[in-house]
Amino acid sequence: MAVFLQSMISGILIGGVYALIGIGLTIIFGVMRVINFAHGDLLMIGMYMTYFLFSLLHIDPFVSIVVTIPMMFLFGAFLQKVFINRVLGALPQNQILLTIGMGLVMSNAVMLAFTSDYKILSTTYSSASFNILGISISSPLLISFAITIAITLALYWFLYRTDTGQAIRATAQDRDAAQLMGINVKRMSIIAFGLGASLAGTAGALISPTYYIFPQVGSVFTLKAFVITVLGGMGSIVGATLGGVIIGVAESVGGVYLGSGWKDVIVFILFLLVLLFKPSGLLGTSKD
Amino acid sequence: MQNMRGMSTLPVLLTAVAVVALFLFPNFVESTYALHIMILIFISVIMGLGWNILGGYTGQYSVGHAAYFGVGAYTTIVLMQYRHIAPWYGVWAGIVVAVAVALIIGSICFRLRGPYFVLASIAVAEIFRVTALNLKKLTNGAEGILITDIPPFKIGDIVITDFMSKVPFYYIGLVTLLIAIIVTWLLQNSKLGYYFQAIREDQDAAHSLGINLTVYKNVALAFSVVFTSLAGSIYGLYVGFIDPSTVLALDLSVQIVMICIIGGIGTIFGPVIGAVVLVPFSEALRSNMIAQALIDSGLVNESSGFGSFLKEQLSHAHVLIYGILLVVVILFMPDGILGFIRKKLLAKRQKEAI
Repeated sequence: MAVFLQSMISGILIGGVYALIGIGLTIIFGVMRVINFAHGDLLMIGMYMTYFLFSLLHIDPFVSIVVTIPMMFLFGAFLQKVFINRVLGALPQNQILLTIGMGLVMSNAVMLAFTSDYKILSTTYSSASFNILGISISSPLLISFAITIAITLALYWFLYRTDTGQAIRATAQDRDAAQLMGINVKRMSIIAFGLGASLAGTAGALISPTYYIFPQVGSVFTLKAFVITVLGGMGSIVGATLGGVIIGVAESVGGVYLGSGWKDVIVFILFLLVLLFKPSGLLGTSKD
Repeated sequence: MQNMRGMSTLPVLLTAVAVVALFLFPNFVESTYALHIMILIFISVIMGLGWNILGGYTGQYSVGHAAYFGVGAYTTIVLMQYRHIAPWYGVWAGIVVAVAVALIIGSICFRLRGPYFVLASIAVAEIFRVTALNLKKLTNGAEGILITDIPPFKIGDIVITDFMSKVPFYYIGLVTLLIAIIVTWLLQNSKLGYYFQAIREDQDAAHSLGINLTVYKNVALAFSVVFTSLAGSIYGLYVGFIDPSTVLALDLSVQIVMICIIGGIGTIFGPVIGAVVLVPFSEALRSNMIAQALIDSGLVNESSGFGSFLKEQLSHAHVLIYGILLVVVILFMPDGILGFIRKKLLAKRQKEAI
């Protein structure tokens, strides 16, 4: 029972970070109907940014998100304006291939610049943990979970309480109707991609103290991001939050009982089952 | 000058000359490196043509074809290495297993459309990769399988080839490639091929005309998988080593799609052009030829920091070129190189007509 509780809790903690990744992907999909296959690579860039801020300027990874968030937002906005914007009306397959290509360029450019060696960002608290009722909790995971909750709450406030946020959600609901209501959908698309990129980058920053940093790390997270968003329902922000936590727990509990080698299989089988039996996801609307 | 199938004489003649030249190629070219590049091109064309039947003609963009490439390669090589079954039997076993697996996956995944199908195909391929990593008894896990030796191919007592040189692989690749082209051509002009293309153009319209979507998508998948699996087996035997991160990787699935996209999907010669463009380019990068050429030409000083950086790093960056090409092709020539040329030619002709 203790083992089960332990894996549940670490699953929920990592699930918070997964939720950030998923929310980013789902906002991009919602506003533009584009599935961003470069999402994990954006996360990887966030990781490298954090790593260099830490190793060169000695900025703590959890503090450096103050820099990472705006930088990644600008980078995402740039990618949307230069690349994604041109294929908004194209076949979905071509959109997917474009983002796959962008992801390849990002991961291989990083490899070219910094080699494919694994980098480790070790802070004083990287392996620290503390016990509550016999359950040990990793300190960096707990801090990142707290930050995740703060960011998620801020994001919900932005999306549900501000004019721009509501315009983004309106665009996600119906692009044409939003345009008719005088919403600048082009601007919303740029903001949405910027937001998605900065959320992915933040997730990268938050996991960098506990994860190996290398150029190909993104593909794992791209796949996880799909699973999370499909599970929650493509375009649903609440769904992605829930999906992130579910996947975190499924991985963690599955890893304990079936061995860590198989935990990805569980996630993908879960994914296929959802795709087949409830493709609209847990909270999605089956519009298209 | 048009014959019955709507093909003019000149291209047929050119193709025939090209085929003869390809058959004579190993007699005139001694360089094993040239043969190596040709074999890699052949394998890429075969897997491209395989994907093209499903992705190009039937419109089902699978980004998980590495699964079938890997199943073909693993079946053939596991049978040869651990059960001592000669690869010319093992290849067929590979095809049977790959098609059987594909049909199970197909009947589950083909009810999904568009991006959801793409995601499902990736998930399936990833399940295969992780399974191969974990079934250590069968696949030797992440260490992969190293082929110790391929038995000589005999008819009666006469040894046809002992697979010591690259030449037998060259001819195996070439013949398989020609068969793949002929099958694609026959399909393209058959009733079955029209069903496929109808599904690509509009699934619902095709369905309402009485085309059973799931059945014909599965038929297209089966054709597609036969060639993908063959390409996998030939690749495994030729390279002599397979592991999950080469034959079952997501990168491979993407490369298969890219060969077709860059050449032009839904055309016979698209995958050929795609492979001819991609393979030599990435091989030149991988073997450091481009970095060396830049240094030799005097553009970059070898002793400078940038020169040594290029020499050390550019060989790792062949995938970078794939990425850049993919982005450029999607943005500027969404119909691939072949489609781009055709469009230009058409525009030129229209201009002349006026």
